[in-house]
Amino acid sequence: MRKSAKFWNLSLLRFTSIPKFSIRKFSDCTFLDNSIECILGTKQADKGQVSILGYNPRKDRRKLFQKVGVQFQECDYQPEIKVSELCEETACLYKTPADWRELCSQFGIGSKIKNDVKSLSGGERQRLFIVLALIPNPEIVFLDELTTGLDAKARRDVWKILSDLKKKGLSIFLTSHFMDEVEVLCDEICILKKGKVVFYGTVEESKAVSGSKKFEDAYLILSGEEVDGE
Amino acid sequence: MKSFLTLLKNELKLNIRNMNMVIFAVIMPLIVLLILGLLNGTRSAADGVEYTFMEQSFGALCTISICAGGLMGLPLVISEYRERKILKRFQVTPVSPIKLLAVELSIYIIYCLVSMITLIPVAMIFWKVTIHGSWLAFLGSWLLTMISTLSIGMMVGGIAKNSKSASVIACLLYFPMLIFSGTTLPFEVMPEPMQK
Repeated sequence: MRKSAKFWNLSLLRFTSIPKFSIRKFSDCTFLDNSIECILGTKQADKGQVSILGYNPRKDRRKLFQKVGVQFQECDYQPEIKVSELCEETACLYKTPADWRELCSQFGIGSKIKNDVKSLSGGERQRLFIVLALIPNPEIVFLDELTTGLDAKARRDVWKILSDLKKKGLSIFLTSHFMDEVEVLCDEICILKKGKVVFYGTVEESKAVSGSKKFEDAYLILSGEEVDGE
Repeated sequence: MKSFLTLLKNELKLNIRNMNMVIFAVIMPLIVLLILGLLNGTRSAADGVEYTFMEQSFGALCTISICAGGLMGLPLVISEYRERKILKRFQVTPVSPIKLLAVELSIYIIYCLVSMITLIPVAMIFWKVTIHGSWLAFLGSWLLTMISTLSIGMMVGGIAKNSKSASVIACLLYFPMLIFSGTTLPFEVMPEPMQK
């Protein structure tokens, strides 16, 4: 972490200066995992301050996380736990939790409530993690590489869910490696290169800045990862 | 309080489903009791003493579940939860870490209680074991043993990097205690230099 001290300052300052969250995109996974953990306070940044909804995620943890839902990429659960138990255990931590049974049926896993979490398919599990992130009735949700490892159909299902949530006014902080996904879902994007913010704006702006027609090309140019021979 | 009970209920369910602690903390002490009972019956511990061998060993039997919970169960659960990033998931919820640890601690206190409650009637009915001193002193020392052993368990769970090193540390602590403290092997059978 110390090696990349510069990064934490830069990017975290950028985040704090943005008053309102909307769907955003980051790239560059090693820095990315650390930066998300710094934002959420599970890791200590070397310098700088983080503030979400006006709270410091380390000091005001208990107040902040009443209003924020999180899904970590390597999100794990107790072995042998059932869907209902995981939901119940999560719901009991919040003052005004949403009805998890309703959320489960809304996201198409209502019939799986009594199953073991490990017996769910990849898509069902990701939907369960969305449900878990939504249980607090959050104002912001952080979703870390939600669609990695899903098949095309499951991915589209998740997209639909996220778009619906966005329409309802929920702020979503999304990270992804799939440019098609980012283009469809995100209002504002942020591209990181080796941990530094190289672009922040909308998809259209990124195309204009890089002078390319496709967003994926724009991403490759901006992040400096152009494919040889193009 | 409600969240504490819900957490306790679910974590206890998971723990029982895992079966490890049910076997080591509840069933094993009972089996040891049965074996010792069948071997020794109501024989007195040594020539000319008032108490039977079973009465002498009863205290030790009650500590089996405490040691199993405190030195095997608790450190492994805590380090496994950290290794699997389950604690990290709890970190981004409003739950306080103290509450979470208190839930895990309560589970092992429940195991110890269940073990003692099953041991007492069996020992009393079949081998007429009675507590010669005061019950209060017996329960007091039981409580003290439990608290100190479980806190060792919490410490091991806290310092171990992952569940593997937790089990190594726990074994290093558990087996010498089991063998040399006089719980399983009576103090009297040890060679003389060791007794001193």
